[in-house]
Amino acid sequence: MAIARSILDIAIAPAEKEGAQRIIGVNVVAGELRGIVPLQLTFCFGLMSENTIASGARLSLEITPVRGRCRKCEETFIVEDYRYICPKCQSGDIQTVGGTEFRLRDIEVE
Amino acid sequence: MKISVMTDILEANDRIAAVNREVFDKHRNLVIILMSSPGSGKTSLLERTGDALRGKLRLGVIAGDIETTRDSERLERYQLPVVQLTTGTACHLDANMIASALPHLDLSQIDILLIENVGNLVCPAEFRVGEDFKVMILSVTEGDEKPLKYPLMFRESALLLINKIDLLQHTNFNLEEAKANARRVNPDLEIMDISCTTGQGIEDWVSWLSQRYQWKFGT
Repeated sequence: MAIARSILDIAIAPAEKEGAQRIIGVNVVAGELRGIVPLQLTFCFGLMSENTIASGARLSLEITPVRGRCRKCEETFIVEDYRYICPKCQSGDIQTVGGTEFRLRDIEVE
Repeated sequence: MKISVMTDILEANDRIAAVNREVFDKHRNLVIILMSSPGSGKTSLLERTGDALRGKLRLGVIAGDIETTRDSERLERYQLPVVQLTTGTACHLDANMIASALPHLDLSQIDILLIENVGNLVCPAEFRVGEDFKVMILSVTEGDEKPLKYPLMFRESALLLINKIDLLQHTNFNLEEAKANARRVNPDLEIMDISCTTGQGIEDWVSWLSQRYQWKFGT
């Protein structure tokens, strides 16, 4: 609920600045590690946006995969199923370099 | 028309968290946030910790609960400085709630501040409040697959306390499997088996706290 509120606040500010009548779409990028449940978030967003310029706006969520970088051989790869093992040198010393981002990318207005 | 925004969704929260952190550092507070499911033993752990730290380091507590003040009533018996935050419908504590609690605590009289988050495995991991470390409690009466279901929480934690270890033989909780799952999500995670009932592992937990305090302040 607090996340939906936050998205709504961030979306409304630039829309009002541009003098938009209505927000029709909100595009969010969320890393897989965020554990966002899309249905839950869109439901909360729908409730929160009632009686605002974002009422009825479609919230779309792009889930980005977990990316790891091997500290030994510097290989960067997609971590599937939390297997933090380098596919090139089998090292387990992996730094997470993607999959935790959580950004409002853009909004569509009219 | 499309308007590019590119704003971090938790930016507003993180800004307040950074301010909280400055306040904590100024008062020489080591701040730990405790996260877990409901009923995993957060309040019992606070009681045990208060006892074990007595005469060594001064403990303060911020307890988050959805409706009641029962946790703080339990803790007041231990004569610890406690602030209870009732979050109403919110399922987690955020930086702003913690900021609002700070005037009610004399931070100069506290060495270690433990913040008990609302029992929930999803939302609390998302919100930083200005803490030094996140610590997670998982009890053996829960499932051993929890780390794979709630990866962010395990990923963000520095230490995992496996509580109610005295009940292990009465459950179908697979301890090795749980640890393997947790380390799969977070290879750097430290893990301790504890029991707030028998006191097993409490000494390890308290020395972990003291060590982190020394590392932070060099005393």
